[in-house]
Amino acid sequence: MEPLPFDKENIIKVVASNAPPSQLFEILSQWESDACLRSAGSGSPETGAGDPEMLCLYYTGFFFAHLLTKQIPEARALTQRMPETLKNQDSSLQNCLTLLRAIWQNEHTQVYQILRDLPWPETLQSLVKRYESFFQDQTLIAVSNSYEAIRPAVAAKYLGLDPQAADKADPSIIQKFTNCGWTWNSETRLLHPSPITVPPTDPQPTSGIRETMSMLGNR
Amino acid sequence: MASIRALVSRSAKLQQFAERSDEKYDGQIQELVASLRQSLSDQTLNFAANDPAVLDNFDPAADAITYLILLRLQIQTLQESSQQKIPTALLPSGTLWPKAVHYIKGFNPVQVRYVGNEWRQLIELVAHAAQSVSQPLLATKIIRDAMLRLDPSCSVFTSTHLLFVRLCLHAKSYGCALPILDKYICHFPGFTERGLSKSSPVLCARHETSAAFITARSGLSAPLTWRDQSRYFLYGGMIYMALKEWNKASHFLELVMSMPSLGPISMIMVEAYKKWVLVGLIEAGKLRPTPKTIAPNVLKIYQSIARPYLNLAQAFELGDLKRLNAEIDAAVQIWRDDNNMGLVSQVKDSLSAHALAGIKKIFAAITVSELSGQALSLPDNVEAAESEIASLIMSGSVSATLVHSPDHPEATRLRFPSDSALSRSSQELQVQNKLENEGRILEALIEGVKKRNQVLGLGPEYIDHLRMAQNWGASGDGFAIMGEDTGLEMDEDIMGDQT
Repeated sequence: MEPLPFDKENIIKVVASNAPPSQLFEILSQWESDACLRSAGSGSPETGAGDPEMLCLYYTGFFFAHLLTKQIPEARALTQRMPETLKNQDSSLQNCLTLLRAIWQNEHTQVYQILRDLPWPETLQSLVKRYESFFQDQTLIAVSNSYEAIRPAVAAKYLGLDPQAADKADPSIIQKFTNCGWTWNSETRLLHPSPITVPPTDPQPTSGIRETMSMLGNR
Repeated sequence: MASIRALVSRSAKLQQFAERSDEKYDGQIQELVASLRQSLSDQTLNFAANDPAVLDNFDPAADAITYLILLRLQIQTLQESSQQKIPTALLPSGTLWPKAVHYIKGFNPVQVRYVGNEWRQLIELVAHAAQSVSQPLLATKIIRDAMLRLDPSCSVFTSTHLLFVRLCLHAKSYGCALPILDKYICHFPGFTERGLSKSSPVLCARHETSAAFITARSGLSAPLTWRDQSRYFLYGGMIYMALKEWNKASHFLELVMSMPSLGPISMIMVEAYKKWVLVGLIEAGKLRPTPKTIAPNVLKIYQSIARPYLNLAQAFELGDLKRLNAEIDAAVQIWRDDNNMGLVSQVKDSLSAHALAGIKKIFAAITVSELSGQALSLPDNVEAAESEIASLIMSGSVSATLVHSPDHPEATRLRFPSDSALSRSSQELQVQNKLENEGRILEALIEGVKKRNQVLGLGPEYIDHLRMAQNWGASGDGFAIMGEDTGLEMDEDIMGDQT
């Protein structure tokens, strides 16, 4: 399929779409050469050479597409590929760098702060929200499998909820956890996470084994 | 214009033959290539040498040969007039760049087998053009797709492989290299065709292996040396390291370290050994056993040159953070000179995870405050230590669970589940992944062994051996050795010697 032309309108359309992360990544990665050419100064007559606003929008969107597809080392490489002048001038690209550092260092509280409190362009708001929700889900799975018992304040910190309210056993917060299958012991004031197993993408988990075994048998 | 019409109609005629037999198609392509080359030397194509618009009359998917010959002619003309290897028009902002990219994105993979030299040179020019304006990224993806279009298996090592991984490293476009790096290389031009050359296959036919048409004579690869192979695997290993795929990185580095060497070993091999030591520490938490394919004298050289790395490994294996820091500080300049500073800092970061794995062998459960004294690289503050341990568990580096105590934060316990307590589904998943991976490797290996067996069976050494065997009165038995199963046994014997 012929890729969409690389212009601001299409970038906005793609980053605001609800396309699956892999598809989002694929579309945006097809534009990287165009972005690279444009950043070198060969812009279109309409947008002018460079067009920093469009490029920043593109690179920020592509950065989030990496995060949504769990390609953290590649996201880091992308930040090294971004044109230096853009990185130094644009606040959303600088936010990306700060966010990457927080993710890299497993600073969950900071990740939520960066996503919620730092200024992101209006056109990227839906993508930022989408990543926040994704990050929360991933962390919930990780915490569920890492803790047998956890204080509500610590769990709240991991999931970007209010730790003070959680410490006071705020029913609305406790309910958020119990809705995920966790149990609440009001005597010990501890939450007991229930491990979450992510279903494999293959609908028949043993089909791979069967194929491999039959292949080995043929030899 | 009449000449362009003639070229167009000649190229269109070729298409009619594509539907017919391989032999007829082959004959027509050869005829076209010969006549175009003749026209080049007669200079009768000069009318098209300066006008990029001429190329618009041709479609790379259907007229790959004519398009390529004309494009090369235009580039050559500019090279000669400007005295530059990369003319301005071929740079990414130039007029010929989009034509070259259009071609590389859509060329006919069968037709280019007949113009291998021109195809490879175009790929090289595009790579150099992108690099010359410090934008190697512009060439990475199109070259990768071109390699896969020419040979979807990418099982024959070519000079383009090396050019491509180098470009990816320059561009810091690591993920882009994976579709090539993850393919198994089974053939090396120059060796493979020794056995196949007598039959000279029809290039346009469907072949079981791309080794039939990517040969030393095809021009699809420049001449290669063992240094090129070493570099490819070293650079590939570096890409895997950047993506934290330590196991694959280690495998690639081992291939470089194990290169047979008659004379002195190369610096590439030493470089691979140094990185391999660090990758082993990050991945396995210890100095991995050296591959048995490395000769003892070569290993001694590695060990003497890479002494600071072995000292570092020793401190790491002891779990002694103080000594590890001292070893790191003592050789800062060495890590910097070797471009290994990043890896060394990752070695230090991975100490906690490996220290915890060691503690798991002793304790079934331990409090975080007790642990701070055991695993020396954890922070003194209990909450910070817990947070770090939680990160290690969440990332999958440590298999354990944390249990908060109702009253005291210091009393948070770390529990190590026994292997039998691991969920059945996760065990099954692990086995499934391992089997699938082994299956893929086995399939690639068997294909490679089959081809190698065929090549060896047709090789002069083997024919000599057969002749001698016949002289010894054992005629008739010789050909049985060429059978598939016997070849596999022979290979198993070779492997047996190595283990």
